[in-house]
Amino acid sequence: MELSESVQRGLQSLADPSSFDHSGFSVLVDVSFRSLLSSHSDPGVLDQPELKQIDQILLKQSHAAATTFILEAVKQNADKSTISSCLEELTLSAERIDVFYSAYQKHKKELERLLASIGRRPPVITDVSWRLQYHMKSAQVDKVNEPFYLISLNTEKDGAPEDINFTCTVEQLQDLVGKLKDAAKSMEKASQM
Amino acid sequence: MEEVDKILIHALKQVGTEVGEEVDSVKQFNSELIVEAVVRCIRVIDPGLGSTLPTSLPPGMSARFRVGMSLAQACQDIGYKGEIGYQTFLYSNEPEIRTLLMFLVEKLPRESAEASDQPSGKSVVLQRAIAATIKAQLSVPWLPPNCQLPLHSESQGPTTLHSFHAQPLHLAHCSKGAETKLLKGRPRAGCVVMEYQRHILRPVTAQPSHHVSVAASILEQHTSELSAAQEWDMEWNSQGLLSRLTPQEYHSRKLSRLHKRIEEQLRSAAQPCPESAFGGPRSTSDLLELLQAFRGPTPADHILTKGTHFTHTQKFTFTQVSTSLQEVETISTPLPTGRQLEGDIQLRQQEELSSLQKQFQQLCNDINDITAEIKHRTVTNAQVLDELKQRQVGNSEKEEKVQVKKKAIDLLPEADNNLEKLQALVEASAKRVVNLASQWEKHRAPLIEEHRRLKEICSNKDLESSQKLSEIKSLHDKIRVSTEEAKRKEEMYKQLVTELESLPQDVSRSAYTQRILEIVSNIKKQKEEITKILSDTKELQKEINSLTGKLDRTFAVTDELVFKDAKKDESVRKSYKYLAALHENCNQLIQTIEDTGTILREIRDLEEQIEAENGNKTVANLERILDDYKAIRQENSVLAAKVREG
Repeated sequence: MELSESVQRGLQSLADPSSFDHSGFSVLVDVSFRSLLSSHSDPGVLDQPELKQIDQILLKQSHAAATTFILEAVKQNADKSTISSCLEELTLSAERIDVFYSAYQKHKKELERLLASIGRRPPVITDVSWRLQYHMKSAQVDKVNEPFYLISLNTEKDGAPEDINFTCTVEQLQDLVGKLKDAAKSMEKASQM
Repeated sequence: MEEVDKILIHALKQVGTEVGEEVDSVKQFNSELIVEAVVRCIRVIDPGLGSTLPTSLPPGMSARFRVGMSLAQACQDIGYKGEIGYQTFLYSNEPEIRTLLMFLVEKLPRESAEASDQPSGKSVVLQRAIAATIKAQLSVPWLPPNCQLPLHSESQGPTTLHSFHAQPLHLAHCSKGAETKLLKGRPRAGCVVMEYQRHILRPVTAQPSHHVSVAASILEQHTSELSAAQEWDMEWNSQGLLSRLTPQEYHSRKLSRLHKRIEEQLRSAAQPCPESAFGGPRSTSDLLELLQAFRGPTPADHILTKGTHFTHTQKFTFTQVSTSLQEVETISTPLPTGRQLEGDIQLRQQEELSSLQKQFQQLCNDINDITAEIKHRTVTNAQVLDELKQRQVGNSEKEEKVQVKKKAIDLLPEADNNLEKLQALVEASAKRVVNLASQWEKHRAPLIEEHRRLKEICSNKDLESSQKLSEIKSLHDKIRVSTEEAKRKEEMYKQLVTELESLPQDVSRSAYTQRILEIVSNIKKQKEEITKILSDTKELQKEINSLTGKLDRTFAVTDELVFKDAKKDESVRKSYKYLAALHENCNQLIQTIEDTGTILREIRDLEEQIEAENGNKTVANLERILDDYKAIRQENSVLAAKVREG
């Protein structure tokens, strides 16, 4: 895991027992996780009684470093060995690494969800309805006599329902079904690496 | 043997042979299974050879025979040295099949094992993880969205998504060095910045305006920092080191270079503006102000003096405009006092507006005129100043000339005397010059010497420094290479560990190795015993030999003695006869014992042979051969009948 210099500095000061005592460390770790996961931004997140005696600049720096480290770790799906080796390099004691790692494990799922929520996603199909219709004639052609399907996909995007309607002939529908099957098959193939 | 069979069956299963659960030794293999196993092995060993072979026995007897023949041929092609033919497959006997299978299993390529050993890179691990995740997600049954529990929501349900929107973050810097530098440079500013960071700056998670962009912003910030550091590293290694400056110097030099370039660009962009419309001077003056701001830390120089012209005009226009604005205000203030009809007011306002506009236009024109005049005046002023300087210079020159001439005129009355004096003076000064030159030479030689020496030292140092530089560069390279290698190795290690974890926990493997070790130790023990027995036998043989020798000698001696006496004495003669008989009988006895031994050995051999033959299922095989023979004959007759019919 690569860390920038400012993050390394912040974590090193976090490792320093003269600037952060044990309770201060655990409170800061807790606060860092909480500030990332809380649903609203709280400017007073660092106003904890345990953190009062610490220099505010140092505190902010360490907080920034800790949050960055947490996000990077979750982003790279770091396991225990990676995290502990990384923190050991920054002279954190084993005890503090344990404190950090237990908090990390506790919040990892939520953080993953947080990171997964960044991005876009095509609408999700929730339901399908169809109707088979028969095309008999048109203004131009007297005898068409062709069945066609009216398909309506009920989709949902970010919680908002959205319908996709289209018509297709039998061949087109078969093509669509074939494509879907292909997609399912390639998913299966991808799962059997 | 069962251990060997287990290994064989395990290997065959890996090759793809369907060995039933109940089959746990080679003895239980039937012809079909043998053929399948052998064909699968051959296919793995030599795909070209094996692809033509069927994995199952055909029903027809002659076809079976042919398959057996081709299989035997294929085995021989692969390199099997033992006896092999169609009978090996069709009328199997256990040891033969075992040796054949052992040969084939040994021949199986170890590629599959090696392939998994090869480092497959980070991407493969990632792909595997992706595959595992997809598999896990596929295994979750689909639920209609209404029935979904929040538990599944991350994989199936639509969670609200936010686009990646990063905002710049401000980080508190409190490294000691930066602090002191700040304090040294601009103590007030440093203090203010510190105060700001201490009391007003929000923690990073509270800085973005939307809380959802916190994670994106932090990640972005970190990545940009990392990439900046990387870029700096690259640049420093490629160019910075060669410039032989400290990082700070290099930084400042680059900064000033950039400043200069930007300044030039801006200036070239600002040039054409003054000639353009009325708005020109103002925009250029803005630019020039910007330029001044750029200059910031560096002391003001000629560009500022150049800019003054514009700034002056700007000031001028501004004051003019502001005064005119004041006028406007003073004019417009009485307006609301005279309350008249609205139309009137509008009319008046329009009139006033137009008049004001006119005034404004006039003022603008005036300003333009005045600026032009000022320009003109400044130019003429400069010209006049130049002229003045030139005149002054000419003046002083002329004055000097006048003085020289004055002196010459003063000296004229006593010309000879003065001439002599002058000559003496000239001579003296010439001497002095020579003297000085010789002195100069004296001083010069060591100075030049020293100069050369210093130059040499300098070049030496240059050389040294360049050498050191190249060393440093190579060291940097080495460091980079080794860190990369270390990283790679670490990754490989991790990957291998994961692979090891993901590998099927082959219990049999360790069991096999243990077993093999046991067997090896057993064999060692047996070997020791064999050597012991061999040495015993040897000793015994020796003893026997020595005993027979002794016997022979004793017999010969006794024989001689008794034979000598036998001529004299009758009883001794008798005893001699007995002796001879005894000897002969004993010899016979020994012979018989030896014979018995050989016969016993033969019997044992024969018994073993019988057992082996029994193992070969000869009778059953013979019966099967007979049956097959009958089948073939039947087939032949059927074919013949068909031919006849046809």
